[in-house]
Amino acid sequence: MRRALGGFLALALVAGAAAYVHRPAPAGAQGGGTIEATVTYNGAAQVETLKVNKDTEQCGTEAKIEKVVVGANKGLANAVVSVAGMKGAPTGKKATVDQHGCKFVPHVTAMTPGEVELKNSDGILHNIHTYSTANPSINKAQPKFKKVMSEKFEKPEIIKLTCDVHSWMLGWIAVMPHPFFGVTEGSGVAKIENVPAGKHTLEVWHETLGKQTKEVEVKPGQVAKVSIEMKK
Amino acid sequence: MRALVSRRGAGGGVRPYSTTLAAAPVPDPRPLGSGNADDTGLAGSPRPRRAARLVVVGAVVVAVSVVASVGQVWAQKGDAQAGKSVYEKKCALCHGDKGDGKGPAADLLEPRPRDFTTGVYKIRTTVGKVPTDQDLFDVITRGMPGTFMPAWDVLAEKDRWSLVAYLKTFAAEKLKEAPKKQELPKEVAPSAESIKRGKEMFEAIECHKCHGADGRADGPSRPELKDDWGHPIRPANLTKRWTFRGGASRGDIAMRLANGVLGTPMPSFIDSVEKPEDIWHLANFIASLGPESPNYATLLSARAVGAEIPDDPNAEFWTRIAPQNVPLVGQVIIDPRNFNPAIDLVALRAAWNEREIAFHLAWDDPTQSVADPAKKTYADAVSVQFPRALVTGPERPYFLMGDASDAVYLLRWENGKGVVEADANGPTKLAPIAGGMATANAVYANGQYRLVLKRPLASKDAARLAFRPGVFTPVAFQAWDGGAGEAGTRMSLTSWYYLRLEEPQSNRRFVVPPVVAVLTLVAMLLVGRVANRRG
Ligand SMILES: [Cu+2]
Repeated sequence: MRRALGGFLALALVAGAAAYVHRPAPAGAQGGGTIEATVTYNGAAQVETLKVNKDTEQCGTEAKIEKVVVGANKGLANAVVSVAGMKGAPTGKKATVDQHGCKFVPHVTAMTPGEVELKNSDGILHNIHTYSTANPSINKAQPKFKKVMSEKFEKPEIIKLTCDVHSWMLGWIAVMPHPFFGVTEGSGVAKIENVPAGKHTLEVWHETLGKQTKEVEVKPGQVAKVSIEMKK
Repeated sequence: MRALVSRRGAGGGVRPYSTTLAAAPVPDPRPLGSGNADDTGLAGSPRPRRAARLVVVGAVVVAVSVVASVGQVWAQKGDAQAGKSVYEKKCALCHGDKGDGKGPAADLLEPRPRDFTTGVYKIRTTVGKVPTDQDLFDVITRGMPGTFMPAWDVLAEKDRWSLVAYLKTFAAEKLKEAPKKQELPKEVAPSAESIKRGKEMFEAIECHKCHGADGRADGPSRPELKDDWGHPIRPANLTKRWTFRGGASRGDIAMRLANGVLGTPMPSFIDSVEKPEDIWHLANFIASLGPESPNYATLLSARAVGAEIPDDPNAEFWTRIAPQNVPLVGQVIIDPRNFNPAIDLVALRAAWNEREIAFHLAWDDPTQSVADPAKKTYADAVSVQFPRALVTGPERPYFLMGDASDAVYLLRWENGKGVVEADANGPTKLAPIAGGMATANAVYANGQYRLVLKRPLASKDAARLAFRPGVFTPVAFQAWDGGAGEAGTRMSLTSWYYLRLEEPQSNRRFVVPPVVAVLTLVAMLLVGRVANRRG
C-alpha cells in the first residue's frame, strides 16, 4: 500500500513538473502565440572533410566542416529564426557551448545578451578565438584542465567561433536583442513561443546561405506555421 | 651582401640543441656569452631600465607639450601633424599613405606590413585590443624582430612619439577606449625548480601543438595556422628568442603568454594556467630553451682531434664542441628569389684528424620533406661550399655558387639521397664529381636536422679541394626547406666565411690571437667589397 502511494506521489510529481514545463507560458495570457517555422533548402548539403593529424582520440581521423546541413524533407539545420524589430529583456538563461569531439556543440547557439558557458569536455587544448565587432574579440586558451570558462557578450551580433589548434572547428553565437528566436534542428524546424499577436516579419540567418525574411501573422493561443525556403 | 659579415666578435656558445643535449655534463669550452646562467642573470634588467628612461622622457615630453588633460592615460604625447611628415618619409613605403599596409613595397614583404586602419597591434601590455602609447612607441623603437620592421631608434624620441600620435589617427574610432593595463602576477626568478614547473605547464597547456615539443615551431597545427585576415602565419621558434616579435626578455615573454598576440592564433593564457605564477614559470622555461642572442660567429674553426670522429650526429663527441652559429638570408639576387626564407641559421661544429674532416651541421626545419610534386614540396637540402683550390689573397669564386668563369666545390646533402660532391658554375649549374669521397649521416627529430658530412682531408685529384691545417679556407653555406617549397635558387645562403683547421696540440683554440682576428677582419672587408662589386 505504502509502495503504491509512493508510486502515485512520484507519478503526480513528475506529471506536475511536466505540466509546469509544458505550460504555454504566462505570456499566453497576454494574447501571444507560437511561431513554428520550417526552413528548407532545395540544394545539397555542403560538407568539407579534412584529415586529422593530431588528437585523433578525441577528434577522430577525419574532421568535417559542415557548411550546409540538410535533413529530411529538405529541412535546413543550424538556421537562426527570429522575429524582426522586437524588444524584450534578456532571458537570463546561460547559454552553453561545448567543445566536444573537436566540434563546437551546438554548432549554432542563440542567446540574449549575457553570459555563455564555454565547456571543454574533450580534455585537450582548445582556444576560443572569436570574430566580432560590437563585442570585444577574444582569443583565450582553454587547456585540458580548464573544464569551463565563462564569457560575456553584451551586444547583439553574430559572433564567429574558431579554434586555431583545430582549424576546422567552427561555431556561431547569435546574440539576439530580444528573446523571440529559435535555431532550427535537423528537421529544419524552429519554434518561437509567446510571440505577441499581430503581423510580424520573420528573419532567418544561415552561416552559408545568408539571410531571408518572411511575413507571418500570429494569433493568440495558436501556432502559426510558416515555411521559408533558403535560396542558393 | 656585405651585411652578412657580422662585425660582432667571434665566439659565443649558442645551443640550438635540445636541453637534454645541451645539459651534457661537459663544460662549455667557450663560455663567452653563452649559457643560461648568463641569460637569466641579465634577463629583465634592460627593459625596466629602458622603461624608466622612457617614462622620464615621456614625462618631459608631456610637460613640454601643451597636452594638459590631467589623469588621461590616453593623452597624446606627440603631435600627430608632425608625425604625419615623419610617417610619409619613413613608413609609407611599406605601410602605405593611408596606413592600410599597402605601400609600394608591401607585396614583397612577408609577414606583411601592419594595416594600421584595423587598430589591431600584436604587441600590447594591455587587456583587450587597445595598446598603450608606450606599447606603440616601443614597437617603433625596437622594431619587430624576425620581420622587415626595423628598429627606429635612429629617429629622435620626439619624432617617435609624434608617429605614435599619427598612427592612432588611422583607427581613431577603434582605439577610442582607454587602454587597460595587463597586470602580471608577482615575478618569479628563474631557478631549476621554476624551469621544471614551467616545463610541466608547457606540456599541460599543450604549447607543443603549435610550437613543437622542443619549441622549434614544428607542432602539428603549424600548417593550419592563419592570422585574423586569413593569411598563413608561422608559430614562433621558441629556441630563437631573438626573433620574438615582442622582445626576448622574460618579462616580454610573460606578457605575451598573459595576453596573447593580437590578430594571431596565439591566445591569452592569464586565466588558463593552473596558478597565476605559472606564467612566470613558463616564461622561465621558454627562456631556457635558447639564448637571448644568437652570437653569430665571424670566424669558423675545425677542431683538431687525435681520435676517431663519430658519424652519429647525436654522438656525445659533438656536444663537446661549441656550435658556431652562422646566419642565413634569402637569396634575392637571381630569379626566382626567396624573400621569406625558412632557414635562418645553421650551427656548425667541425673537427678533423690526420685522415678526414667532418662537418656537423644543425638547423631547424619544421617538416622532413622529400620531393613530392603533388604537394609542391622538394627534398630538404644543405650544402657546404668551398673554392676548388686554396689560393692566397682575397680572390675567391662568386659567393653565389660560383659563376661561369670560376667554379666552386660543394658538399651537397639532400634528404633521401645523401651527399654528393659537385662543381658548380652558378646555382643551377651543378656537375657531380666522379668517384665521390664524401659520406653523410643525418638524423631528424622535433623540427631539427643534424648532419655529419665527412671527407678525406686530402684530395686524390685536382677536382676537389685539399684541406690544410692552419689555413684560412673560404667556406659558405646554402640551405633549402623543401617542405616550404624551396628548391633551386629559392634558397637561403651565406656569403663567404673563413674556416680554419686548428693546428694539433694547440691549446690556442680557446682564443683566436687578436692579430689574426684583425687580419681576418681586414681580409673579410676587402673580400666583402669585391663580392659586392661582383654582385
Ligand atoms: Cu580546438
